[in-house]
Amino acid sequence: MSSPPGSDALIEARSLTKRFDQLMAVDSVDFDVRRGEAFGFLGPNGAGKTSTMRMIGCTSPLTAGSLRVIGMDPVTQSSEIKARIGVVPQMDNLDIELTVRENLEMYARYFDVPRDIAGPRIDELIEFVQLTEKAKSKVEPLSGGMKRRLTIARALVNEPELLLLDEPTTGLDPQARHLVWDRLYRLKQRGVTLVITTHYMDEAEQLCDRLVVMDNAKIVTEGSPRDLIARHSTREVLELRLSDDERGRLKEWVDGISDRVEWLPDRVLLYTSSGDEALATIHERGIETETALVRRASLEDVFLTITGRSLVE
Amino acid sequence: MNAAKVVRRNVTVFWRAWRFSFFLSVLSPVMFLSAMGLGLGSMVSETDAFGGVDYVDFFATGMLAATCMQAGVFNATYPIMMKMMWQRNYEAMLASPLEVRDIFLGELASIGLMLAQVAVPFAGVMALFGVFDSPMAILAIPVAVLLGLACASVIMAFTATLQTDEAYTWLFRFVVTPLFLLSGTFFPIDELPLWGKVVAQATPLYHGVELVRQLAIYELEASALWHLGYLLVMLGIGTALGMRNLERRLVP
Ligand SMILES: Nc1ncnc2c1ncn2[C@@H]1O[C@H](COP(=O)(O)OP(=O)(O)OP(=O)(O)O)[C@@H](O)[C@H]1O
Ligand SMILES: [Mg+2]
Repeated sequence: MSSPPGSDALIEARSLTKRFDQLMAVDSVDFDVRRGEAFGFLGPNGAGKTSTMRMIGCTSPLTAGSLRVIGMDPVTQSSEIKARIGVVPQMDNLDIELTVRENLEMYARYFDVPRDIAGPRIDELIEFVQLTEKAKSKVEPLSGGMKRRLTIARALVNEPELLLLDEPTTGLDPQARHLVWDRLYRLKQRGVTLVITTHYMDEAEQLCDRLVVMDNAKIVTEGSPRDLIARHSTREVLELRLSDDERGRLKEWVDGISDRVEWLPDRVLLYTSSGDEALATIHERGIETETALVRRASLEDVFLTITGRSLVE
Repeated sequence: MNAAKVVRRNVTVFWRAWRFSFFLSVLSPVMFLSAMGLGLGSMVSETDAFGGVDYVDFFATGMLAATCMQAGVFNATYPIMMKMMWQRNYEAMLASPLEVRDIFLGELASIGLMLAQVAVPFAGVMALFGVFDSPMAILAIPVAVLLGLACASVIMAFTATLQTDEAYTWLFRFVVTPLFLLSGTFFPIDELPLWGKVVAQATPLYHGVELVRQLAIYELEASALWHLGYLLVMLGIGTALGMRNLERRLVP
């Protein structure tokens, strides 16, 4: 996935490594993020997503390897890099002593945005994240989704060309998630480069042009969501719930009707080009299923195929 | 100056409650000087032990320094831990062009302003009680602030290493309170046994108190330089250590 020299890579990581004492948090990863794309890090808890983001955001020194962000060195030019990026951290860190609007005003000062520019820009941002009614409210009483949107607005006060989003929708209800996705999509259309970490496959599929899958501090695969599914999974997946007896019977001949089978504790997944055909065969052979669901393959299946584990426990 | 942005943030928040805060800054010395200075002082007729001044003068100068020490220490504990761990304000600041040194110096400067806001009204009340009789006394204010800052810098360095606030209970009970009582605030350390005297002389409060007294109620002596030097060196060490510790903490 590396680009040739002189390409429009906004972030270039080579053998990027982060170690905390004995613990390898990021183990020699390589990736490039191109200008204008939405790039994802998909992985389970502890995979090293936040550690990677923090190195890009210049708030954690690299242990080894090299990293360029907007053509600059995070070690020697951290203030310059930070002036041009926006960060949405995994956990909100809004200033709860200030109101919604004051949070943005104060942050604009940290970035030296001139007053006369900051004023209208903040009005616009408050509207963009739909917090106009809450502009004078303190932060504390806001809902999780509102806080998240305010954090996103705050990350935009310096009009960054690169936005780092660490699990932007974790903990939000579906409606709040869709609102955030919608805003992120609009930002991307305006040309802002997005780097997103998530352990939701649907988020990665919705938002990311390209992504890397991380597990245990390493990148295990990379590509576009569609690409990865095509490469590592079949088109469809048949999900079955069965009694133990039926599981035993199925096991004897199931390999004949599917490319690959995952025996999870609560479910059986059959990877196949046609889920309906497979299900019909199973019923023909007299196996009783408690539930049966045919669905399109997802990034979850890619992760399962590669690591043998589920993405979200 | 990026540190000024941190000060600005703190002043904005502090400003909301300034009336109440100012009220406390005035009320506290009025109460102490009335009760301890005049009340207790009226029973202390022997002034030789206090260098020939009234007890209220002796007590008020000690109390000015001790109050600034306490305020300096306190403001380097819970309020800093709050912003470092619980509300994660520093993480947010670090995602902007601010760096760790800006945060440390900005917090220290904010504490300095806060201390001035304590020391100036305190000295004003002292003047009303007739404690001062030389214009030099005005220098007692920056000295008291310096004492508070020196303590704050060291305690901030300590706070940067903490994972919980449990240690603060110990800090206040077994360090701050004994210092407060035994560093010459209420009575001259000459009254202590020899070992107590040696310990007292090693504390920052003793040096702050001595310097304040030399400026405000006694004659200035050569030892003033030694007291001043002690406080400046302490501030320097606290700042260097604090920036290092905070860097380790915030940028792992
Ligand atoms: N400051 C730190 N000190 C020590 N270990 C750390 C530190 N930060 C992270 N780690 C460890 O590094 C590993 C990777 O953590 P990281 O936060 O990068 O994972 P993540 O992919 O973001 O996980 P999550 O989905 O839970 O946020 C974990 O084992 C974590 O415990
Ligand atoms: Mg994380």
